[in-house]
Order: sequence, then structure tokens, then C-alpha cells
Amino acid sequence: MSFLFGGAPKMSSAEKIAAAETEVEMISDMFNRLTESCTKKCIPADYREGDLNKGESVCLDRCVSKFFDVNIKVSEKMQGEANANKQGGGMGFM
Amino acid sequence: MDGLNASEQREFASRMERKQMKEFMTMYSKMVQRCFDDCVNDFTTKSLINREETCIMRCVDKNLKSSARLNERFQEQNAAMMQSGSMGGN
Repeated sequence: MSFLFGGAPKMSSAEKIAAAETEVEMISDMFNRLTESCTKKCIPADYREGDLNKGESVCLDRCVSKFFDVNIKVSEKMQGEANANKQGGGMGFM
Repeated sequence: MDGLNASEQREFASRMERKQMKEFMTMYSKMVQRCFDDCVNDFTTKSLINREETCIMRCVDKNLKSSARLNERFQEQNAAMMQSGSMGGN
């Protein structure tokens, strides 16, 4: 992930492909986890109809939105923690 | 993803193709498991009864629609997040 290290200078072909692959991997992994959670939370297991009803649709939309919010919140919190540790000179977990 | 030359791009594309195939197989087996678990609970008969079959058709239908909707929302949010750069993606 080049953006983490400020555009790493010379990477071999294999490294560049692997980096691109990792990026796709991360996004698709996030999507799979989101699908799993939001389906479980929003779609009841008694299939009364094949279509999504109003409530389920709205639930799915909001679920995606909140999933992203949680991602950002956690990332901010962890970044803050890491920075605090760096400043205090303590051992960070990262 | 840019910054790859032509041959690197080809290698990348072929890996993505393999990954897609794998994802599809995973999705299929997850769907079978979910619909089996949610719809088939009665083993007093050997083959699927009407009620189970209806349930399975609805289950597949609903889950495909739900995953399409989730995908749409996900793309929107992901694009918005990349743009605002709040997770470091540029």
C-alpha cells in the first residue's frame, strides 16, 4: 500500500502487482464482512416474499452507512492511540 | 492500481479473474447453506416439500437483491470515503 509509506520509491513488478492485489483484497474483504453483518441484522429468516420490502431496504442502506462510520471512528481512535503512545515514548501496539 | 505497465496489468487482470471465480463459488456455497439452514428443518420427507421449495426460491431471490443493494451503497460510500480521504486512501 504505497500511500502508507508516502509513495515507496522503486518497486519490482511482482511487488507492484502484489500491492494492487492487496488493495482489492482489503476492499472485497470489507464488503464480504459488511454483507454478512447487514444481512444478518436486516433480513429476517422467514422469507414471506422474494422482494426486499421497504423496511429491509431502508435497514440495509442505513447499515452500510453505519458500517462505514464505525470503520472511520475505529481508525481515528486507533490512530489517536498510536500517536499518544509515540509521544509518551511508550510501547505502542503498532 | 495505476502505475502498472501493460504486462503487469495483464497479470493483475488474470489474478482478478481467478479471484472473481473463487468469490462466485464462495457466494454460491454460502447461499446454499443459508437457504438450507433457513428453509429446511423438517426431515419427515425425503425430498423437498412445496413449502420448502417456495421458501428457497424466495430466499435466493431476496439474498441476491439484498447483496445487489448492499453493493450499490458500498460503492457510493467507498467513493465518498476515498474522496474525503478520511482513511488515508488517495
